[in-house]
Amino acid sequence: MRAVTWILRIASVATFSAMAFLVYMFLDANDIWHWDAPYEFIVTVFRLLSLILFFLTTTMISGLSSALLGGALPNDLFVGLYNTLVLRQWYMQPYGIDTPLTNLQQVWTSFGANMSSVLFALWDNTFLFLYFLFAGIGIILFLQSLVRMDHKFVGGAFISIQAIIILASYKLLEVPNLDPFPTDLFTLLLNQYQILAIISFAYLEVSYQMIYSYSVGKPVEDREETLKKQLLALRQATRKQDAIERGEKVSSSSISRTTSAAAFSFLREAIERKVVGSTDALENLDAVSDVRRLQIYVDELLQSDSKAKDELTAKAAAPSSVYVIGSTITGSVIRFLSVIVIAFILMSPAVLTTILRLPIGIQNSMEIIQPEMMLLLFLPVVLLFPFAAMVITWFSKRPKEEKEELSSEEKEAERERKKDLARRRIEAAKARKERERARKKRSRAETEVDEWDKALEETYHK
Amino acid sequence: MITQRGFVVIFAGVLLLTSGFSFVNFYLVLLGVYLVIGLVITLPLFALTANLAGIEVDRQIDKVKVFSGDFLRVRVTVRNVSRRHFDFIEVHDQYPETWILAIGENFIASRIEPGSSVTFSYILQARMRGRYHIGPTEVIMRDRLGLHYYMRTLKAHTEVLVYPTWKDVRRMEALGKQRQLGLMFGAHRTKTIGMGSDFAGFREYVPGDEFRLIDWKTSAKSGNMVIRQYEMEKNIQVICMVDTSGSMGNGYPENTKLEYAIRAAVLLTHMGLERKDLVGTCTFSDIVHGFVPPGTRPNHMYDVLEVLAAAEPKGWSDYETAIQYVVNNTKKRSLYIWMTDLEESPAPLLNAMKTLVANGHKAMVISPFGPWFEAPVGQFGPVEKVLSEAVSEELWERRNKIARALARFGIEVINVGPEDFLPAIIKTYNQAKQKGVAMF
Repeated sequence: MRAVTWILRIASVATFSAMAFLVYMFLDANDIWHWDAPYEFIVTVFRLLSLILFFLTTTMISGLSSALLGGALPNDLFVGLYNTLVLRQWYMQPYGIDTPLTNLQQVWTSFGANMSSVLFALWDNTFLFLYFLFAGIGIILFLQSLVRMDHKFVGGAFISIQAIIILASYKLLEVPNLDPFPTDLFTLLLNQYQILAIISFAYLEVSYQMIYSYSVGKPVEDREETLKKQLLALRQATRKQDAIERGEKVSSSSISRTTSAAAFSFLREAIERKVVGSTDALENLDAVSDVRRLQIYVDELLQSDSKAKDELTAKAAAPSSVYVIGSTITGSVIRFLSVIVIAFILMSPAVLTTILRLPIGIQNSMEIIQPEMMLLLFLPVVLLFPFAAMVITWFSKRPKEEKEELSSEEKEAERERKKDLARRRIEAAKARKERERARKKRSRAETEVDEWDKALEETYHK
Repeated sequence: MITQRGFVVIFAGVLLLTSGFSFVNFYLVLLGVYLVIGLVITLPLFALTANLAGIEVDRQIDKVKVFSGDFLRVRVTVRNVSRRHFDFIEVHDQYPETWILAIGENFIASRIEPGSSVTFSYILQARMRGRYHIGPTEVIMRDRLGLHYYMRTLKAHTEVLVYPTWKDVRRMEALGKQRQLGLMFGAHRTKTIGMGSDFAGFREYVPGDEFRLIDWKTSAKSGNMVIRQYEMEKNIQVICMVDTSGSMGNGYPENTKLEYAIRAAVLLTHMGLERKDLVGTCTFSDIVHGFVPPGTRPNHMYDVLEVLAAAEPKGWSDYETAIQYVVNNTKKRSLYIWMTDLEESPAPLLNAMKTLVANGHKAMVISPFGPWFEAPVGQFGPVEKVLSEAVSEELWERRNKIARALARFGIEVINVGPEDFLPAIIKTYNQAKQKGVAMF
């Protein structure tokens, strides 16, 4: 199965690269791929921050000094000196201003003028920065998906790349758009933006198939690997115990340091019992004995049953690679074709008017070429599939939880057991009552106190 | 059922659709439609094929009765009896929580073709005695893309009876071997002078003695009539009364008073059988749960183990009912060893002892003291410490009173903790052998 996973991994790389490249190419017309955009964005952010800080510090210091000087604003010399010696020295002068501002009014005017220009620059740069940010996130998640084989990374990479187009649409840039929507299926198929859409969809499909092939083959491989590690760790632990018993010097923690032993819960527990319970000799003896008995049990099992090892590794469960790759291709092709055809039926205005027989007024209206029109068919069609699945499930009547059916003998035995228990309880209760009655009768009849009762009396009532 | 990743696809689809509507962009709408249709299009087909009734799970185990601490191989065979293949199937075979997965894994994920089967196995270590069930098996079927799933729980249980641990017996045997001594190490044979063939000594003749026992040579030498004495080995009969009331279940899970009492009963039965003594066992609370009369049958040990394995700490201790039942079912004089925490009212216990003594039996009590089996006082805060000490004192005082009352009738009460429970039972048995208590 490794080969299949690798083939699908390569396909995933190819589709992601194609998707990313097409997005890059289609958006390049807008001249948005300025490679210094991230730098520009960061610089603008700092510019804004420095402007705010400059304004705040200058105003604050001026306010404080005016409070100390009896309400008069500090003179230009003071403001100039402060700006030059303190703010400029610490690189806190606003960007784009060479000479230090000496007048407070000048500072406020400069702040008002610069603030709006910096904010506008920041607005533009933010979008440029976001395109790069989403592209970066998309690539990182895509690389993660190849290694970690997790659906969330694939989904994240897909959404990140498509988010660039969504953002560009928001900025009213020239983005991939199929407006007007093709009325002919073949025209749709050959449309470059449709190719981007289908490649994007293919990326998701191929990546999910890659994760499937990985997850269907990996557990069996992991199982084999785990078993090897467990048997090796067990063997090592037994040898070390033998060495300790022979009186050879073996560090007690060396077993726990081996990585294989750490991955083996049974042995880990045994080691913990041995190390933690070092004061209790019997506990040590148990831990050692458990490990040794397991070794003997496994050895005997592997010797007596030739299939035992294969069953422990579940080797036979590994699916055939040829079938998996074959079914992946056929399944994906069928899915692609049906998805394209259904999407065309749902979205094409010509099909819509034919199927729904809309009044001529609506057919000739602007609304018919709006994207929201597809909802007329889309919602019922989409809901039809889960409904059909629900009906099938309902008809096949499959219980989620199987109820255990007891055989008539088992039911009889259970009934007998309960009856016997109830009988014994009743008998015990009856015997208790009898004893109590007899005791009362005796105590009334006998004048002499029983020595047992006397002992009890003496012990408890003295 | 749509999986979490299916919902991610729906989210992405709806995001693209709404963005497409907002910005009048057919590309985004088309992609959104692809995602949503791609998600739901396989639903009916999956519902049609994913009939998990076509999956059969068969579980096999090497043994249905094991000792606590023993290993057990579980083989699980998953069969696809339907005509459809299952693209991705996960099978989780559940095992009791207290057990340890020693080797292998208890689940498998694979695809399964029509008519084929997959077998996997794993090795468990059975921990803690009792009646356990392996299973149920959870079968989860997913589609290839992991967007939909169906789950089914197959209630195929495999019952396993876990006997009490055998480690004490093993340990005792190991120690015996280390000392190069036989089974009789530490145990003394019970001998009765009178009948038998082993020469025991001489004594003076008293009227009524058989003439054939007179040793004429010795009599001639000493000048008095002397007779030869012979001795005979005798065995004893012991009945172990294990209290399984709720209070006996207090303490750490594997170190409750009941667990120690059961271990002691196993050890006692084993020692008795090895030395040809008769040892019976009774487990009781408010009713008698199980009674194995004293015997030496080959399966006697297993009968005892089964009764002890099924013991559960619940109910209250009705000593009188228990003793009535056992006395009615026991013919010979026996030594009754009670293993009870004496936390019930003392009157029924004294009444039970009265019945015992009246029937000519002997008795003694080995009583685990509750606080010694529970959390060490060092782990408590100051308030809990004071409270626990007060409770301990009260309990101690109470059991001293009971011990004093029982001592009047020659019934000894031995207070034990986790460390000295097993040594106490060995010592008691050896003393009984030495004294020749309850011989038959």
